[in-house]
Amino acid sequence: MKPLLVAKKILSLEKLLIDSLLCLMLVAMIVLACLQIGLRTFSSGGILWADPILRYLVLWCGMLGAVVATRERKHIGIDVLGYLAPVHIKVWINLVIDIFSSLVVAILTWAAIIFVQNERLFGGPSVLNVPSWIWNLIFPMAFGLITIHFLLAIPGDIKALLAKSEVNKTESGT
Amino acid sequence: MIVFKLFTLILAVLGSPLFIVIAAIALISFYSVDIDISVVIIEMSRLSDTPLLLALPLFIFAGTILSESDTPKRLLKLSNVLLGWLPGGLAVVSLVVCAVFTAFTGASGVTIFALGGLLLPALLKDNYSEKFSLGLITSSGSLGLLFPPSLPLILYGVIAGVRIDHLFLAGILPGMFMLSLLVGYSMYKSPKRVGKKEKISGREMLLGVKAAAWEIPLPFIVLGGIYGGFLVAGEAAAITALYVLIVEVFIYRDIKLQRLPRIVVKSMMLFGGILVILAASMAATNFLVDQEVPMRLFEFIRQYISSKYTFLLLLNIFLLIVGSMLDIFSALVLVVPLIVPIARGYEVNLIHLGIIFLTNLQIGYCTPPVGLNLFLASYRFEKPVVQLYGATMPFLGLLMITLVIITYFPLLSLFLVRLLG
Repeated sequence: MKPLLVAKKILSLEKLLIDSLLCLMLVAMIVLACLQIGLRTFSSGGILWADPILRYLVLWCGMLGAVVATRERKHIGIDVLGYLAPVHIKVWINLVIDIFSSLVVAILTWAAIIFVQNERLFGGPSVLNVPSWIWNLIFPMAFGLITIHFLLAIPGDIKALLAKSEVNKTESGT
Repeated sequence: MIVFKLFTLILAVLGSPLFIVIAAIALISFYSVDIDISVVIIEMSRLSDTPLLLALPLFIFAGTILSESDTPKRLLKLSNVLLGWLPGGLAVVSLVVCAVFTAFTGASGVTIFALGGLLLPALLKDNYSEKFSLGLITSSGSLGLLFPPSLPLILYGVIAGVRIDHLFLAGILPGMFMLSLLVGYSMYKSPKRVGKKEKISGREMLLGVKAAAWEIPLPFIVLGGIYGGFLVAGEAAAITALYVLIVEVFIYRDIKLQRLPRIVVKSMMLFGGILVILAASMAATNFLVDQEVPMRLFEFIRQYISSKYTFLLLLNIFLLIVGSMLDIFSALVLVVPLIVPIARGYEVNLIHLGIIFLTNLQIGYCTPPVGLNLFLASYRFEKPVVQLYGATMPFLGLLMITLVIITYFPLLSLFLVRLLG
């Protein structure tokens, strides 16, 4: 029971961290963009690093937003047949999709790690003295977290599957 | 490799997240031609070179705040005092309000959920038939996508690499045309008035305007800022977000400060869902372009179709099917990069193409069997989907007429761009 409790603690901490980061970054985006407009209008100047920072903030917000979408299971999908499938097939479909998704995002995480390593060696221009590979760290981090969230969904799928077959058994028994 | 891709596509239809499907196809494709898979991430990282992208999260945030506040109620009241006296007043009000609201919040179903719930009982009380009312609300759920600052317009601009301010201009006349056709039909279908009509006094009118006084400037901020040349799209989005935040949280106080973090997270979740699809498709379409797939597709199609107009007809049919299967963001992200080079081959103006795309996808929202609006309305109003198929038919017919006119009269889209752009 202990490790489960620790895992739950870590997860709620992660949720808190991501949610607060998103709030901070969104506020930063609004303030920075509006500040740029103000400076340009009133003093025909502007902050040089504002635009590149804004672009990275958008990327960070989006990638962390995708982590939230995975956590809340709110990713965009087609799901035509999913609707029509009967429940006992649907639990199987969910399981296969979650395993497949974990696998794909794990490979993406791996690709992102290679990418960041290459950036570190041959890196692009730095913004605010922070080299580009640090800004791009969001890719391995976000994909890593997404992988974990997909993996975490698998036990739930199996549980649903077992519960379903349990129900079937009792139904066929009576 | 083909087996893997096939497996991936089957999972797509079964409801696997689209970004997973697209990323998987990109990974398999690059791997199969011996290119390092980190290319996929390099392509994704190119997103940070797109200054326009800033407009998306900020407009999504502003839209989410608006839809969580009491804005729909105030907007409804305002239009009622301003337009309610017209024949078919309430139906006209519904159409206009839905269009404005959708332009700001995107066709995310919010219109049907937030406004539909208020409008349907009101329409029924005013003796409109249930069939007409349901059809009206279902098809209005995506009305207004052609008006600025609609998110799908921005996304099209980002992907096709055309100017957003031009796109915003191009959408106005086709959008107006579509709206007026629906308004005309609603006036024609409006029930005969029994008894005397209540008159709206000047005082009531003043009250309605006063209640929405802080929201009335919104369209002007967006449009004035962009067309006045003061702001680019991303900046207009920032100003809009700041303005909406201040108005809804501190002036109207519809949204308590404690609720704000949840709204931020929700809107960034929506944005994240779109961004990862966009990122994955950057990689996938780059592969396709690298392999000259669009060019080969063009060569192939040109053997059978020489006329630009036949091409546009086929494009319409194709997009209507796509629009009824996919949600608008994934449809744009997946299809635009493939179609743009082909359309260039047929010398279709890319701004005009954008308007054609959005009109099709908008109609796709209410096209049976799987248009999203039909399901949303069925869920919201607890009616069987089949009943909604029938109810939306006349509206769908009218929208199809606009589609034909928009497609074959490019000037409707391009007139304002040429005049002001």
